[in-house]
Amino acid sequence: MSLENEIAVYARELPKLIPQSGRFVLIHGDEVVDTFPDYKAALRAGYEKFGLEPFLVKMIQAVEQVHCFTRDLSPCRI
Amino acid sequence: MPHLTNRLTRGSPLITLYVGISDERRIAFTKAGRTPPEMRECLALIDTGASDTCIDPAILKPLELTPTGHALIHTPSTAGQPHSCDFYDVSLGIYHPKDSMILLTVPVIAVDLGSQGITALIGRNVLASCLFIFDGASDSFTLAF
Repeated sequence: MSLENEIAVYARELPKLIPQSGRFVLIHGDEVVDTFPDYKAALRAGYEKFGLEPFLVKMIQAVEQVHCFTRDLSPCRI
Repeated sequence: MPHLTNRLTRGSPLITLYVGISDERRIAFTKAGRTPPEMRECLALIDTGASDTCIDPAILKPLELTPTGHALIHTPSTAGQPHSCDFYDVSLGIYHPKDSMILLTVPVIAVDLGSQGITALIGRNVLASCLFIFDGASDSFTLAF
């Protein structure tokens, strides 16, 4: 299970979303559903609308913040 | 502020962490007529060098999660080229006899930690709401939340 489609939609729609930087966008399939003031609100809306189907919640950022780890890690999918 | 003071384990601040599905996902499970998976226990290293909390897939898999987030990460081996990474929403708990810490919704990364003798890293996204004291001189650490 991956969110490749939703990630591509985010990248495509980012120029339009930038005025809402700092808010969280909810994307399901090819659809930008809405934006929300915080992570939990977006997640709640995603589960309410789409149940256990995949969806993406992502903070809108003009320049994407990179998360840093001093330990060498290999992220994986479950 | 509730706090736990434990001995270091071979110089490392290790603590028992409970991992379950997020509150929002629990509601979705119930609406779908499914029984939410039970919380899982793991051995966690408190790691101030980790921006986010990481959980081993052996703990996450039984929770029947799907990714709901995505970000770019840097580690010592990414050599300036950030890697793409999925995030999963979970709930986290640390037991305290009087006032346990329960975070109902936390984004975490799945990372294979089995070879390191732990099953979780508690990163700064969780430590942001805690006080952490590493007291190497007395071979102990304190976590207050």
